[in-house]
Amino acid sequence: MPPKSKAAPKPKGADSSKQPTLTPSTSNTTPAVPATVAARSQLRYDDSRPHDAARLKAGLTGLPRDEQAAWISARFARTPAARTRLPPKAQRELWRQVNEASLPVRALRGGTKGSSWGRDRNGLDVGGYSVERFDEREARRARLTCLEVASRGFRERRERERKGLRDPATGEAVFVSEGEVDAERVRRGEMADLRRELYGTVQGSFALDPEWDDVIPIPQDEPEAALAAIAYPADYDEAISYLRAVMLKKEYSQRCLRLTETIIEMNPAHYTVWLYRASNVFALKLPIADELEWLNQVAFANLKNYQIWHHRHLLVDNLYPALAEKPDELARFAAAERDFLTQILVQDTKNYHVWSYRSYLVGKLGVWGSPEELKSIEGLIDDDVRNNSAWSHRFFLVFSDPAHTTPGLVATEPDPAVPQDITSREVEYAKEKISLAPQNQSPWNYLKGVLVKGRQKLSSVEEFTGGFVKGLGNKDGSEDVQSTHALDLLAEIYAEKGDKEKADLCLRRLGEKWDRIRVGYWEWRRKCLEEA
Amino acid sequence: MASSSSFQQRPPPQTQTQTRDDSETDEEFITERTYYPAFMIPDLFTQLPPVRDALVTSTSRVQDETVDTCLPYLAGEDELFKYNLHGVPNLDREKHIRFLHASLGRLPGRFLAADASRPWFLYWALSALAIMGEDVSSYREAFVETARGMQNDTGGFGGGGKQTSHIATTYAIVLALALVGGEDAFEVIDRKSLWRWLCALKQPDGGFQVCLGGEEDIRGAYCTAVIIRLLNLPLDLTPASPAWAGDGSANLLSSVGDYVRRCQTFEGGISSQPNAEAHGAYAFCALGALSLLDDPRRTIPRYLDVPRLISWLSSRQYAPEAGFSGRTNKLVDGCYSHWVGGCFPLIEACLSPPGAPDQAAGHPASAGRVPPAPESLFSREGLIRYILCCCQDQSKRGGLRDKPGKMSDAYHSCYVLSGLSSAQHQWELAPSAAEDDSAAATVDPVWTVLPYLDDVQVFDQKDLVRPIHPVYAIPLQSQQAIQSYFLAKEGF
Repeated sequence: MPPKSKAAPKPKGADSSKQPTLTPSTSNTTPAVPATVAARSQLRYDDSRPHDAARLKAGLTGLPRDEQAAWISARFARTPAARTRLPPKAQRELWRQVNEASLPVRALRGGTKGSSWGRDRNGLDVGGYSVERFDEREARRARLTCLEVASRGFRERRERERKGLRDPATGEAVFVSEGEVDAERVRRGEMADLRRELYGTVQGSFALDPEWDDVIPIPQDEPEAALAAIAYPADYDEAISYLRAVMLKKEYSQRCLRLTETIIEMNPAHYTVWLYRASNVFALKLPIADELEWLNQVAFANLKNYQIWHHRHLLVDNLYPALAEKPDELARFAAAERDFLTQILVQDTKNYHVWSYRSYLVGKLGVWGSPEELKSIEGLIDDDVRNNSAWSHRFFLVFSDPAHTTPGLVATEPDPAVPQDITSREVEYAKEKISLAPQNQSPWNYLKGVLVKGRQKLSSVEEFTGGFVKGLGNKDGSEDVQSTHALDLLAEIYAEKGDKEKADLCLRRLGEKWDRIRVGYWEWRRKCLEEA
Repeated sequence: MASSSSFQQRPPPQTQTQTRDDSETDEEFITERTYYPAFMIPDLFTQLPPVRDALVTSTSRVQDETVDTCLPYLAGEDELFKYNLHGVPNLDREKHIRFLHASLGRLPGRFLAADASRPWFLYWALSALAIMGEDVSSYREAFVETARGMQNDTGGFGGGGKQTSHIATTYAIVLALALVGGEDAFEVIDRKSLWRWLCALKQPDGGFQVCLGGEEDIRGAYCTAVIIRLLNLPLDLTPASPAWAGDGSANLLSSVGDYVRRCQTFEGGISSQPNAEAHGAYAFCALGALSLLDDPRRTIPRYLDVPRLISWLSSRQYAPEAGFSGRTNKLVDGCYSHWVGGCFPLIEACLSPPGAPDQAAGHPASAGRVPPAPESLFSREGLIRYILCCCQDQSKRGGLRDKPGKMSDAYHSCYVLSGLSSAQHQWELAPSAAEDDSAAATVDPVWTVLPYLDDVQVFDQKDLVRPIHPVYAIPLQSQQAIQSYFLAKEGF
């Protein structure tokens, strides 16, 4: 038997020009250098089957005689079942020819058709790689395998540590050091890089973090047919899966707090995660001030968000009992909150959630009478006299202050406890602001609200109101209305005084000319007048 | 009616000179011409209002910009549109329907912010489709599966799988189940655990938290009342409820009226919670909740200062935009067509018609007779113009929107169409048979509907959409089907 050699010997006189897929090379000089690994394989395949490619094309009889003989010899040589049936003499002759022509005694199986090299992360056929590039890739794959083995070892050690098992080699309890955990974190980072480079798979940061190894994420299980299902970005999908898992076991910890932060960054509208965050803060007894500080940043980044303000509400509820005992601290806290709210409202002056929180805060801390609060609101009204949110807040500050109002009354009800000087002050304030822009409804609504609350007759502002309406009903074109709201209030003033005719004229002119879009309303008001 | 008859006179469209071969009749061209820009649009909708202030602030700046944006649409000048003789374009059903069907399909990752409010998206899309007359029962099977995955064993539905149950998402799911209809859909709801959970949300002051540990606001009251009535849930409280009184004096709906009363502001509108600013969305929640406590003719005047509320509601409509704004000195937005527009059927019903319950025991401020409106309390024509001219996305995208320049979405599609429906219809409350509170409290008042005919109809007849229930915000038939199913059911 001839010596077995793994590499197929190069057949003498092989004409590589017959193999158009290969890099042409002149015979008997340097061996062909394949451009790709697929081509290299093809070359090796063909080399192990001399003249086979030519035979397939031309048929055996189409080959020159010497090549025919060589092909037949090679065929017998590599097929023991056929070879051993030859008479001994013929077998000897066969080996002689094989040796002389250096024919391969083995052939690669299968051929290259239909075999796959797989695709890389860009969807390219790995078979199209150059040899160098392929070797590099293989080295990375080997590196990944090594890392995977090490990582598995780490997990096993952790598991043993958790179970309190002993190391069989040393007999001591398994202990995973901080250093090992750090090394594992680095290792997983490298593994993730390799997987991304090799296969394009992206791994979530939680799966890479040894800190989360004990949590089995609960993935989203939506039915196939689910309507309006959202294609989650991978990182969100992973974080939410971990959230489900920790919420299920009611874990409250620093890592859960960080998890909620990650999710809130991605989707601040996720109310469940906010409530869970609050539970963590309270369960861990974290300093509320720190949480508020964090929340301030989130609030600036998400001005339209709703949940932030309820979270803040919960924090203040939690903090309040401690503050209530220390008036100084309470005052400091109220001032800090006011500063923060002022900054937020600069960005979005009519933000409903911010204003709702602000009224809650005033009530909770009991700072209705705070001159700073009133001043801050006046500043906003000075900036934009049409800021109705600021006007609403002012009404709340003044007319819900338990220091001078009857508790339990609603906003629309007259309150006998409101002192005259407060009512007068507010009436003057509204009048002053109306003068700046008489068609601005906010101070008019405020004015009427104040008069009703303070049990003042509407006619106490008749002169002022009448100043915005000239020549009402005149048909000579001299009728002039500077404010439809004044005309509206005048109608009420006349009705209050029993002058139905004048009241009706106001309402009629509103519907006919000055505020036509609301004609249906003005007509109804006329009907009310009629039936009163 | 004292309506002004001044119209904006636009030159009749020029006969277009055809560049094409004149010898053959081009039918398409003729059709185009008959729809070419409107002749008569009341100048109310094409000109700035007669009273304006000179002082410029950020509010007036954005208001002026909005008017500038809307005017070309209202004046029949938008090139994408074909206008009828009133200068109003058709409702582009086909595009809107396509947009809404697509919004029920798989959504790309940029919809992430909707992850905690998917039930809303489902309700909005299904409701908008239903309003346009589409049969949404084909979604039943898929919706049943979707809803099941969002229900919690502890009662209620969350914004998605394994999310905390929330009153708003539960409301959306219940309405959407009613829309797709059928026993399979109704039976998804675990009513017993839902009832227990609602008891846990009920607060001693009459309001509801929106979820356990969540905020308390008037949405909670409205959504809960709708759920209780549609599903015929018992009103009894569990001892675990924060509102449990021990002596049986408190139930799920007791003190809701008092809570609503505390939300009325000095302006007359309603805020989300006591002491905040009056806001359109909460006005609808307040009136809806009151309408479900008992006959709205009794409850609305009992708990609210009706004249001041009407004054505020009416102030939400500005010219020339003619749609509704949500608050004083805020901008028009198509969604308030429902939130504010939807208040009017309820308010109009409660204005005392002959034989209505006596209002003497009403709110101190509305004591005495509050007469019915001689005509619509708001400009239906204006609202319809705003909706059809400004709220339709007439690009390939379709769908309805806040205002020109904003992207259409399912939320606006639902509430703009809902507002269109209420502007096109006239709702009436059948004379109440029972004066006895206890009987009335268990039987919903009977609402009847007709197309609104008392005004010039600026929209084409084919653009009439389906009526939707003024309180439940779903078609009448859907409401009746789910309600009668659960009324007939014994126990849970």
